[in-house]
Amino acid sequence: MSAGVRVGDADARTTVLEVVRSGIATTFQDRGRAGLAQIGVGAAGAIDLGLSALVNRLVGNEPAAAVIETCGGLELVATAPVVVASSAHLAPMHLQVGERVVIRAGARGRLWHYVAVRGGFAVEPVLGSVSRDTLAGLGPEPLTEGQPLGARATSTEFAIVDHTPLPELDSVVRILPGPRRHWFSDASWDGFLSNPWTVITTSRVGARLAGGPVERVVDGELPSEGLVRGAIQVPPGGEPVVMLADHPTTGGYPVIAVVHPDDLATLAQHSAGSRVRFRRYG
Amino acid sequence: MGIAAVIVEHPPVSPAAWALGLRELDLPGVVDVVPAAVTVLVTCTDADALAGVVARFDEVVPRSTPDGTGTVTIDVVYDGDDLDAVAAATGLTPEEVIEMHTAVHYRVAFCGFAPGFGYLTGLPEPLQLPRRSSPRTRVPAGSVAIAAEYAAVYPRPSPGGWHLLGHTDQVLFDPDREPPALLQPGTTVRFRRMT
Repeated sequence: MSAGVRVGDADARTTVLEVVRSGIATTFQDRGRAGLAQIGVGAAGAIDLGLSALVNRLVGNEPAAAVIETCGGLELVATAPVVVASSAHLAPMHLQVGERVVIRAGARGRLWHYVAVRGGFAVEPVLGSVSRDTLAGLGPEPLTEGQPLGARATSTEFAIVDHTPLPELDSVVRILPGPRRHWFSDASWDGFLSNPWTVITTSRVGARLAGGPVERVVDGELPSEGLVRGAIQVPPGGEPVVMLADHPTTGGYPVIAVVHPDDLATLAQHSAGSRVRFRRYG
Repeated sequence: MGIAAVIVEHPPVSPAAWALGLRELDLPGVVDVVPAAVTVLVTCTDADALAGVVARFDEVVPRSTPDGTGTVTIDVVYDGDDLDAVAAATGLTPEEVIEMHTAVHYRVAFCGFAPGFGYLTGLPEPLQLPRRSSPRTRVPAGSVAIAAEYAAVYPRPSPGGWHLLGHTDQVLFDPDREPPALLQPGTTVRFRRMT
């Protein structure tokens, strides 16, 4: 951190970029505020933690530095010389004043993209994290047109990593049986593992899937219980919902399966209309 | 619940008390301990940490209330839109509903739904009604409400299907305050009528 710049300041001295177009679902994220679920506060954090860490690495940041997360349509302009990287470009860019970064929707076959700035974006944390929780309405507001963006350090040195490959998005997602697996028929479980599942809608909160009947064999209401990221809840309509970063901390529908944490980003990166398959882990 | 979490069903005493007891052990690798209606969710950093934590479950001594929390008193103006309907449904007068709601001590069984939203147990049986058949699209912040066996206060405006008895000006959740949530699992609560 350079002398005279206080942590969290986004004042004129440190402004390096400005939002030209705010794009779709564009928020600040880091690794989230895990550990507060018992008071009803979810973890939030980047949907694709691996990709956000990689983009941070491209500009020499720690994985936990604040990044911008977007579904595209985002355009930023440099108001000072600055080093940025994005998951759409995957190499550090040394921008001069007036030069722009554009993130297109669906770049590299992925729904969620990240922009990092050298030093990290200067954003005031809420409960220890700059992550916007879109369900709870907690954390910094989503980005808006004309918003100035500060960096915590204004060095224009190049980072050590100069390029990184990004494999094609996998469509197989490993799952484990959930705590209420036996509320469902064996045929439903087999269908879960053999049918292709189509993403109907997806957001930071969760992804709703369709792909076959999920038949309950235990009737009655489930008393609310805690949820984890990756839990696959089955509401009465029968379309499973995979809990993502901004999921509620408790829920009253049975969890049939849980996505392996290493495959959660894979699932979340699929946009509505695309297909995934589940495979049993372990 | 996946590779790094487990659901503990019907823990001794109550989910809130067992969860407080587990927290007390301060075991390494624990991320979240989330009491709910009849279960506790324990989330750890990874599978190894979870195995280490589960191995020590038998050391948990349930605790009734969290450290340093006395009884929280919530001042209520009983002007809720459903006060008369609750009176009609229970065969009580609105005055009797208020007396009953303020007469007892409640305990936060668990939190959920929204930051700082506590599910309070202890609601007198005559006041236990099913949720409204048509939920409201917007319930104002500070609404004091009941549904089924629970009482609650809405920390912020949200949709909701509970019966509204009144409102409080107390702030239930403030991220800049320590602790941010007025009501935590185990907290004892009373409602007091403001005139």
